Amino acid sequence: MGSDGDGDAPLLDDKAKRMRDLLSSFYAPNPSMLSHSPTASSKHSTPDDINSSSFDPNHYMNILVNNSNLEGLLKRHVDMAAEIKNLDTDLQMLVYENYNKFISATDTIKRMKSNILGMEGNMEYLLEKIMSVQSRSDSVNTSLFEKREHIEKLHRTCNLLRKVQFIYDLPDRLGKCIKSEAYADAVRFYTGAMPIFKAYGDSSFHDCKRASDEAIAIIVKNLQEKLFSDSEPIQVRAEAALLLKQLDFPVDNLKTKLLERLEHSLRDIQLKPEEIKNASPSAREVAILEFVEAIRAFRVIFPDSETQLVKIAKGLITRDFVITEEYVTTRICAADLLGVLRVIWNESLLMDEVLQDSALSNHFLEGAKVAVKLYVESAFSQLLLDISDCLLKILKRDETEEYSLETALDASTKLALQGGRNLLLDVCKILDDDSGIIDKLREPIIDWVQEGLQDFFRQLEDQFQSFSGKNNSSATQIHGLTEAAAFAGLVLVLAQLSAFIEQTAIPKINEELAVSFSAGPYEYGPAFVPGEISRKFRSAGDKFLQQYINIRTQRISLLQKKRFATPKWVKHKEPREVHMFVDLFLQELKVIVNEVKQVLPQDMRKHRRSNASSASSKSNSFREEKLLHRSNTQRARSQLLETHLAKLFKQKVEIFTKVEHTQESVVMTIVKLSLKSLQEFVRLQTFNRSGFQQIQLDMQFLRTPLREIVEDEAAMDFLLDEVIVAATERCLDPIPLEPPILDKLIQAKLAKSLEENTSSS
Amino acid sequence: MQGASSGIGYGLKYQARCISDVKADTDHTTFLAGTLSLKEENEVHLIRLSSSGTELFCEGLFSHPNEIWDLVSCPFDQRIFSTVYSNGETYGAAIWQIPELYGELNSPQLEKITSLDGHAGKIKCILWWPSGRHDKLISIDEENLYLWSLDASKKTAQIQSQDSAGMPHKISGGAWDPHDVNSVAATFESSLQLWDVRAMGKTISIECSHVRSVDYHPKRKHVLVTAEHESGIHIWDLRKPKVPIQELPGHTHWTWIVKCNPEYDGVILSAGTDSTVNLWLVSLGNDDVSTESQTESPTHWVDPLINTYSDYEDSIYGLTWSSREPWIFASLSYDGRVVVESVKPFISKK
Repeated sequence: MGSDGDGDAPLLDDKAKRMRDLLSSFYAPNPSMLSHSPTASSKHSTPDDINSSSFDPNHYMNILVNNSNLEGLLKRHVDMAAEIKNLDTDLQMLVYENYNKFISATDTIKRMKSNILGMEGNMEYLLEKIMSVQSRSDSVNTSLFEKREHIEKLHRTCNLLRKVQFIYDLPDRLGKCIKSEAYADAVRFYTGAMPIFKAYGDSSFHDCKRASDEAIAIIVKNLQEKLFSDSEPIQVRAEAALLLKQLDFPVDNLKTKLLERLEHSLRDIQLKPEEIKNASPSAREVAILEFVEAIRAFRVIFPDSETQLVKIAKGLITRDFVITEEYVTTRICAADLLGVLRVIWNESLLMDEVLQDSALSNHFLEGAKVAVKLYVESAFSQLLLDISDCLLKILKRDETEEYSLETALDASTKLALQGGRNLLLDVCKILDDDSGIIDKLREPIIDWVQEGLQDFFRQLEDQFQSFSGKNNSSATQIHGLTEAAAFAGLVLVLAQLSAFIEQTAIPKINEELAVSFSAGPYEYGPAFVPGEISRKFRSAGDKFLQQYINIRTQRISLLQKKRFATPKWVKHKEPREVHMFVDLFLQELKVIVNEVKQVLPQDMRKHRRSNASSASSKSNSFREEKLLHRSNTQRARSQLLETHLAKLFKQKVEIFTKVEHTQESVVMTIVKLSLKSLQEFVRLQTFNRSGFQQIQLDMQFLRTPLREIVEDEAAMDFLLDEVIVAATERCLDPIPLEPPILDKLIQAKLAKSLEENTSSS
Repeated sequence: MQGASSGIGYGLKYQARCISDVKADTDHTTFLAGTLSLKEENEVHLIRLSSSGTELFCEGLFSHPNEIWDLVSCPFDQRIFSTVYSNGETYGAAIWQIPELYGELNSPQLEKITSLDGHAGKIKCILWWPSGRHDKLISIDEENLYLWSLDASKKTAQIQSQDSAGMPHKISGGAWDPHDVNSVAATFESSLQLWDVRAMGKTISIECSHVRSVDYHPKRKHVLVTAEHESGIHIWDLRKPKVPIQELPGHTHWTWIVKCNPEYDGVILSAGTDSTVNLWLVSLGNDDVSTESQTESPTHWVDPLINTYSDYEDSIYGLTWSSREPWIFASLSYDGRVVVESVKPFISKK
């Protein structure tokens, strides 16, 4: 029995456990959960476990019987009976409890059933009630509708009337506003009334509209006045503009009008470069200040007008530069130009301040560039013109007023050198200006000057060529004699001027250039190349000199031609006096000497040598004379042989040498060429004795005056002898005049010319 | 004096102005030169260049009654030539024939075929048509131009037509167009005047002053060269008579005579009273490029003056190219010196 007692405690536990399991299985929502419950799947799932589902009573009995003694079995039996009893009680308890619950639920359901039964009737009643309320309210509504309508109508009319009143009052009110200058209010009123006027303006409110329009017109007028009056503060004007805009007034028109006015006012402040010289702040400056103020105001009034303003400002500067460019082409000095530039610069600075984005200074720079370039160019062309004028004066001289070649040469050389240097100095002044205006222009200016110089000299040379070429070969035929002479003078001056430019002006100017314009790297235009120009002028100078000689010898040759063409030399009469032609020839030479002396320099070196040569020439001529005397008595055949022999012994005189730019050389060349021509003319004629004697006399007479003129007497004597020899050869009966007669005739001529000189002077 | 050594000299006895190439002599290079002496008996020299080309010898010496101002050899008969002569007061012109047996005679007389009488003033020159046989002659005096019809066998010459210059200025010389038998150019003091021989009427006139000498370009039609006293040498294209196509500086003193080379294009010879002979080479445009100019160096402008022959003592009035050997020219200075030079070294170089 002891073992029974051992199994008492777990038995109790098992009972409680089973109870709970049962309950939970009953209430468990899912029956399958039961099998999974931890109690059901207990570890004692052996067939001998009484609580497991696989309990096998037989097996359990067998085990029990086998394992227990009787006592134990009995105990077991008692325990089991007690247990079963407990279980029955529990079961009973459970059933009872459930039954209670079931009864109360049934009761509740029964009560609900009875309650619902009365509800429908109530509901129907309610509906009925509501329906009646609605019908009542409808009837009230309809009964009140008319009155309400009326009231609303009245209200509207009242509003309308108030508005009408307002509109009728509008003119007065506007008038009041005008009086008090409360334009803003006036505009507000008017714009408020605007829709009505728009709708009924033409019919019912005609008068009213007219009146208020009139008032508004006054307002607009006043506003415009305000806008346009410069005396009003800017704020007021801006407001006025705004109000005008609100009034749908064409403000753009106003703007353009105002801009026009601005432009117009600008037109009055034209740049007058001549006045800038006067140091006092000109009216223009004031005007510019005003203009700047105006621009400022304008920007406030019309904020969107900047581009136009910039345009105007640019226009102003452009116009300034146009005037400047015109001004530049008149003769001005660098200081004047600088003054003008400075004025414009200040102007553009002022305007730049007001108009930030205008880039006016760039615009200014562009303009200044053009102006300065033009200045340089025009300075050069002026110089060119001056020199040409100076030279052309030679051609235009009146017969009464002698414009001597000397002065012309002086003036033109001075112009060429001094003018060139002054120009450089002037440009230097511009370069040295430190006001910062032309900082950026410095290099271009240097280039322009270089380029300008090159062009200037080139053009000068061209000009010279054109002067000399103008009436080149036909000078003696087309023009009168005086003009032709003047032309020759011009050519001579040109020759000397070219030489001067080559030898003096160009080196000096080049020096000057190196000093003042060395800074710039000459990359752009063609720089001044003094070598090339020098070469050009040298060849031009030589050419002009040659041309001068040609013109002069042509004139002389014309004289000679006439002299030899007119008389019948074969039937010439006995010579009574020196022929007129000699006078003409000498006169021509005198003119040449005069011209040459004025223009060309003396040659010191040659002068010295001429003394020596004159000594030898004397002996030469002496010999020649002796020879002539001898030949008098002999016949021509041996005479020819003798002249040949004489030539052999005499050193060959270089007749044709290179011409130099000296008085002596030029005169000598002309004399030589003339005498040679004389010889050739003689060779073409046939003379009788008298004709030959005439030639002899003329040539003999020529000796003395020519000696005063020429430098190389030997050559001159030689050539004169040649003429006489030629005449001897071409003479049928070459018997020269006896020396005493020759002398007599020459003396007579000398006396006569002396007399003429004294009487004329 | 570069060309000094190459010249071959020959002395005439007296002063002389004119020398002519004997064109009709195709076997030898021969020249005819006439002297100008008022008082002595004048001579016509027939000068021949030895075949070696190193010597000039006298092939014939004929006395001529008066001083000779112009002498032209007949282009188709080597024995015939024309002269203009003067006795100091009056001028005459005649056609002469060299006697056939002149080698055997000591001082043979020239046979006068005919004299061209009828001129009143100073006769300037006689022109033969340079390009071949033509039975016409032109004689020019200061005021008139005569066209003669010559019959050598009958020894007669008749005036066919005549025209007067009708100008205040006098004619100084002339040339017969080798390309056109009907065209003659005459030089005046201030112009160059062309005549049409058929109608004896003036055609083109070119303004240029103091023309002394004129020569047609032998190869190019319309091109002619004038020499002027003071203003040098001008080359003209007759189709453009306003402006010369080229100008050459000429001589220091008067340019007296100018001659175009008969063979080489653009080779021009001029002589003047400054006792020099100048040799020029000009390019006359490209309508007929000669082989010489093609090999020329590419430099655009070359000095047209190739050489100056200055080995003379006096003014040079006579100048002629040899038509047989066109690189040879003969010059005659007033002192009677004939100098024959070859321009070969200068032409072959170019």
